[in-house]
Parts: sequence; C-alpha cells; structure tokens
Amino acid sequence: MSSTALSYTLVITGAPWASQAPQTALEFARALLAAGHRLDRVFLYGDGIHLASALATPPSDEPNWPRQWAEFLAAHQVPAVACIASTLRRGLVNETEQARYELPASNLLAPFEIAGLGEWVEGRLKTDRTVYFHGSGA
Amino acid sequence: MTTLIVIDQAPYGSWSGREALDMAFSLAAFDQPVSLLFCDAGVNWLRQGQQATELGQKTVEKNLAAAPMFGVEAILADGPACQRYGLDDSNLLAGVTRVEAVEPIIARHTDVLFAG
Amino acid sequence: MTDTPNTHTLHLLNKAPEHSRFARCLQSLQPGDSLVLMENAVLALANSGLSLPEPCYALQADVRARGLSTLNGRHTLIDYQELVQLTADNPRIISW
Repeated sequence: MSSTALSYTLVITGAPWASQAPQTALEFARALLAAGHRLDRVFLYGDGIHLASALATPPSDEPNWPRQWAEFLAAHQVPAVACIASTLRRGLVNETEQARYELPASNLLAPFEIAGLGEWVEGRLKTDRTVYFHGSGA
Repeated sequence: MTTLIVIDQAPYGSWSGREALDMAFSLAAFDQPVSLLFCDAGVNWLRQGQQATELGQKTVEKNLAAAPMFGVEAILADGPACQRYGLDDSNLLAGVTRVEAVEPIIARHTDVLFAG
Repeated sequence: MTDTPNTHTLHLLNKAPEHSRFARCLQSLQPGDSLVLMENAVLALANSGLSLPEPCYALQADVRARGLSTLNGRHTLIDYQELVQLTADNPRIISW
C-alpha cells in the first residue's frame, strides 16, 4: 500500500442531473484531500461543463451541485477549468467570451475558469494520477 | 507511451465522438503520441460515403480525415463490430486498421480513455 | 507504437450491466486487475446472471442507495477513502 502523497487531476465529463459524475467526483475529491493527497486541478469536458453554470437553480430541498463544487474549490483553492470548446457550444460563457461574441449575458460560476484542452494535456503530464468521471451513458 | 482514445458511440446521434477526436488532436498538437480505437457502434464513424448535409452537420468522415495530418499514430477498428455493421475493405475509410479483438489493444496501451 | 504496462489496472465501472461498456470492461480485465463497481454498475450485484471477477469492489454509498447492502457475494464494499487508496495503489486506471 502506498502512503506517499500524490497529485491528482480530476476530469468530469458527466453533467449534473443527467448523471452522478459531479457528485461521485466531489466525494472522491474530499476523500483524496482527507488522505493527504493534492488535488492539482479539475477539468470539465463535454457535458461536464454544465457543472460550472451559475444559473442552475434546483428546488431548495435538492442539492445544488455547481454551488457545492464551487464552495469546495474555493475552500481548498483548487483551480477548476471548463473546456472552452465544450462551453461555448453549450452556452456557458465568462465575461471575456461574452464581450468577444457580443452575447447578452455571462453565466460562468466562480471560481471556475474557461480554458483550452491544453490544461487537460498539462494536467495529465504534471500529475501522478488523472481520474475520469463519466456520465452514466447514452 | 501512446494514449489510446476509445470511441464507442455512434456518429451524429451525439457529440461525444467529435469531442473524443478533439482530445486526440489536442494531445497530438502537444506532441503526445495518440491512437484512436473505434469499437461497438463507434465503428460507424468509419464508413465511406457519409452525407450529413441534411442533418446540418459536417461529416465526421471529414473530421477524421484530418487525423493523420494532426499526427494521430493509428486509427484502429473493432473487427467483430465492423462485421456486424457490414463494414469491410470495400466501404471502410482508407487508413483504418481492423483488429481481431479490441481487448489486446486496450491491454497494451498504458493510457486508455473515453471522452465521456 | 505501444508499450506493455508493467502494472495491473484499476477499472472504474459506472455503467449499468446492460450498457455495452459494461461487458467491454469485463472482457478487458487481465489477471491481477481490480474492478470497482460504482453508480449504476452496482446493480450487477443484484443480477444473478452475471459472474463478476475477483477482486471486485463496490462503492458502499451506491450500494446502499439502491438497497443492495444485504446482498451476499464475494465483492468487497468500499468507501470513498478506500477508492482513493485504490487509485493511489494503481497507476493505470481506466474509467469506463
């Protein structure tokens, strides 16, 4: 059994409410920090980018996965990036992209950021483990 | 250390295959060796003569044609799935290698991933 | 160009038994590999028609949520901490 601290990149491709991926990934992220490992970054890809929506408003008796994730990321200062190609297609933008494409609003939830797949490539190279959380499958 | 990206979703019905391809191109752009494995319904990406204008989509055939230019090492196809879907030498895209079974391919790549 | 990995693989499976990736994952297991059933994949524990490999781990939270915790079997229930430990112990991980 390894007891050394490792660095992790987590990739979430399953959307909240369409899959359990964000929820499983959050419990995994909490457990890995509790075990003394380092969460280097979180990368949202494909449908997983919906986790970074500031506008998700589930009924008050249901969990708000984007907000829970945002609180976790802020509390532990973990960088989280949503893939720009995935977000633009699906209507998730920050103020920079709003201005660039002259869109009526922006809706990216802080502290999520938007960047390219290069962030994912770098994460795979730099960290000891990259773990993917996919949707339940179409 | 070649990364194997597996595409097992049919083309056109979802965007996940295209997003898998974007991941492959992006690895190649950063000089990371990458190969593509199409299996199960995903082999339908590899059929000649796709015409998607009525769907308002670009053909995935066109997306895939860029793979060698981007530096994708190999395009592999699940042989048994090709047979099930009527894909053979007469209608398979050029540059695709059919494999007898996908399990040995998965086993011999260090990094194997799905895009979703 | 391919490389033969010198380590065993941890397979993280979250698809229901009817999903094509479920069978694909089971067929891809090599001797010495470990399997973790999570999310919808834990339903495999209730499916007597399926023979699961060993070692087979199942995520306790998912098992409990689906009312399957009283099932006997050769699977081992794990929590998220143990899941993290498995990922630390196995450099090669495939998420199905």
